Amino acid sequence: MTAVSTSVESTPDAAALPNRMQRVDAWCEKWGDRLNPILVKETRQALKSRQFVLTFSFLLFAALGWTIIGSLSLMPRIYDTPSAPRMLIGYYFVLALPMLLVVPLAAYRSLEGEIDDGTLELLSITTLSPWQIVLGKLASAMLQMMLYFIALFPCVAYAYTLRGVDFPTTVLLIGMLILSGIMLTIVALFHAPLCETRGGRIVTLLSVIGILVLAEWCLGAVAVEMIHYGFDFSLELIFGLVGSAVLICIALGHLLLTVTAAQLTPISENRSTKIRVSLLMVTAVTVSLSSVWAMRSVDDGTSAGFIVAGGVALLMIWTFAGSMLVAESPVITPRVQRELPMSFLARAAFTWLTPGPATGLVFTVLNILLVASFLVIGIAWLDTSSVSMPPSFRSMFIQFVFGYAAYLTCFLVSVYVLMRLIRLTNQPRVEVGFAALAVVAVFTALLPYAIELYLSDFRTYQYSLWQSTNWAWTLYEILDSNDLSGSITVIGFVGASGLFFVLFFNPQLVWPRRIATPKRVLEEHGESGK
Amino acid sequence: MTKNKSGRKIGGREYLETQSDEPVNAMPKPELDSSTKLAVAGEQVPEASSGWDRGNVPPVHVGSDDCIEMRRLFRFFGKTKAVEDVSFSVKRGHVFGYIGPNGAGKTTSMRILATLDLPSYGDSFIDGFSCVNDPELVRRRLGFMPDSFGTYRDVNCKEYLDFFARAFGLSGAERNARLRWVLGFTGTEGMADKPIRGLSKGMKQRLCLGRALIHDPSVLILDEPAAGLDPRARIDLRQMIRNLADQGKTVLISSHILTELSEMCDSVGIIEQGKLLATGSVEEMQQQQVQQRELRIRILDRAKEAAAAIETRPEISTLVVDGDLLRFEFTGEMELQAELIGFLVEKGFLVAECTSHKKSLEDVFLQVTEGLVQ
Repeated sequence: MTAVSTSVESTPDAAALPNRMQRVDAWCEKWGDRLNPILVKETRQALKSRQFVLTFSFLLFAALGWTIIGSLSLMPRIYDTPSAPRMLIGYYFVLALPMLLVVPLAAYRSLEGEIDDGTLELLSITTLSPWQIVLGKLASAMLQMMLYFIALFPCVAYAYTLRGVDFPTTVLLIGMLILSGIMLTIVALFHAPLCETRGGRIVTLLSVIGILVLAEWCLGAVAVEMIHYGFDFSLELIFGLVGSAVLICIALGHLLLTVTAAQLTPISENRSTKIRVSLLMVTAVTVSLSSVWAMRSVDDGTSAGFIVAGGVALLMIWTFAGSMLVAESPVITPRVQRELPMSFLARAAFTWLTPGPATGLVFTVLNILLVASFLVIGIAWLDTSSVSMPPSFRSMFIQFVFGYAAYLTCFLVSVYVLMRLIRLTNQPRVEVGFAALAVVAVFTALLPYAIELYLSDFRTYQYSLWQSTNWAWTLYEILDSNDLSGSITVIGFVGASGLFFVLFFNPQLVWPRRIATPKRVLEEHGESGK
Repeated sequence: MTKNKSGRKIGGREYLETQSDEPVNAMPKPELDSSTKLAVAGEQVPEASSGWDRGNVPPVHVGSDDCIEMRRLFRFFGKTKAVEDVSFSVKRGHVFGYIGPNGAGKTTSMRILATLDLPSYGDSFIDGFSCVNDPELVRRRLGFMPDSFGTYRDVNCKEYLDFFARAFGLSGAERNARLRWVLGFTGTEGMADKPIRGLSKGMKQRLCLGRALIHDPSVLILDEPAAGLDPRARIDLRQMIRNLADQGKTVLISSHILTELSEMCDSVGIIEQGKLLATGSVEEMQQQQVQQRELRIRILDRAKEAAAAIETRPEISTLVVDGDLLRFEFTGEMELQAELIGFLVEKGFLVAECTSHKKSLEDVFLQVTEGLVQ
């Protein structure tokens, strides 16, 4: 009787439970629909994969093993002595292996597998964009990292309860590990679509493994130092360092992801504009951070170092990127032409972001001049501040920076012409532009050197105007405090003339015209809400 | 049947006008039919010079009954002409068979239609949208089944289809309904929870067809879906494709198994070395070949004498005497065939039997093509 009455009394709750569960289920499904499909698929795959099971098992057993072995080795004075660093170092290496090696490599293999198995083609005819594909892979990798971290979190907490490690060090260590894991995954994803041939794939895989192992080793060394010596910095400095590292990682990560997505994008679509915007973002972040750190460290005399480091990094990035931008195909598809800016102001500002070698050349030269100006203004500002510099340093530095910019402009114009000639009979990849730049740079340096060496009967000779095209010797002479402003001006004039030549003779490439989108296409996009 | 060299069939539809400057790579201008109408400039903003190497091909056309159209399509790989001036169209709800030897250019042109490759010249259209200029609009309408499976490790059939449904933007109840329909239509419900890697080839093909159908496309492009299947699986596939056509879907299918195609296709196109040699309905193709067919006449006595009596006639070729059976190629109408039999009877030969063997699609294919590959 009692049992029956209990059953009757519990009926409303029993009925409500499935309803509640159904609502939760519907809510989960609704939110699940908003997730990136690649993330859903990759997670399903990863959780069932042998690699995940093995890695997760390894993580748990290694953590358990180290907890037992490490604790026993520190007994009986584990709570009296600073034993946390030793335990934390062990846990760091247990966690670093999957986060810095296994997960990035799995992300690389996953994207490479999509290309090899032909599933990328199937994905590219769905409504997923290449960005979504790449972000889905990254999100899946991050999810796996989170799972590994959560699994090891109790061990980290246990180490923190021991003596010898403070809270900021532990947080920074974990932050560094997570940020490095994400960046390495982005680097690995960037490498996946680089090569199409089997040989190329093997080289790429070896490069990725090399980068990951090197990063594992370097970050391990930094982590050990951090744990042993802690952070004896002010809170402001720590926040500054963390903020700078995060900003640089976001800018560089965005650039690498954009390039990866561009490699997966069909050639009829605009692959260049997003890369150019991303490059601008990297430039802005680097210039801002260099300026902020230079201004902050005027008193301790390291300001010039920040400005020079930021400027040199940007010049290297722009040299590399510029050589590929001027190697882009001059054919602009109607699809891209439909999206060109329309008003005069928009065209003046944004035409340089549209794909094409001529716009790429102008865009690169403008940015190189921007970086050169930043360097020169920065050094001039330091010179007028309390920072002590040798008297001739400013003049030498200005000559060097503008000399580099002038040479690069000349070389990029040459690469532009060379690539246009190559494109008459071939359809080379943009990477050929960098090879062309290297060829031009080597020839312009070696040819005058070899000719003059021959004319002087293979005896040593002094720098002369005949060596003006020899960029290596000219820049070396400038660094050796010789005034070569005349040569630099001539080279700058030649570069500017080449640029003018390109602008004048290719108006349709430099200033492409927008075309109308067919009415039916607009209607269709309107119906689909795009 | 149309022997197709330039191979165009454009007419009776409106095009948006293009004002094209000289394209980067000039191509021969397509000769538009007189029935091709150009929209009045001003109603639509005309497209300016594209610079894109499609030549003067209009980018969008409207009001057509053709669901698939290739217009003067060229695709070069270096010096190899994989596709050369191919033009044809397929009406809504029709099944079009794409026939050709290996390396003929079938897959290349299908990949262009599927927006996976770009033509060197020309354009292709799905439901009036350019595969070059509006690929995202084409993809919504298109289900593509390549010749490779393209499956994932550690994923079961249901998860696989669910993933592609999500990738096509389907959500909630709509996605679940499509999943159920596809699993039912392709007969893979029993396999829903099985890992893909363990499936037989036939089941994988069904699954891949299901993947192509998951977003309910109006056009299906199937690249050799019957390759490697056993006879029963082929029959099932044939029925599925016919069912899809009956539902109003337009299907472009390539295959080597010509008997299969002749039974399921409304029209076919024969391609060799990148060139479309012939297009038309299967009936048209076969009727064209009725003019030349194999005749077999059984003569009960003096078969050799009968052969000697008729072998000089112009409508007879490749005559073979096989015992009391005469076999030969006969070119001519039925009246001429009756006259031939009357002639033999008149000459006193005992004609016991006369059979006419109609050319199959396979015969047509062999006759049209030369067995050349790229």
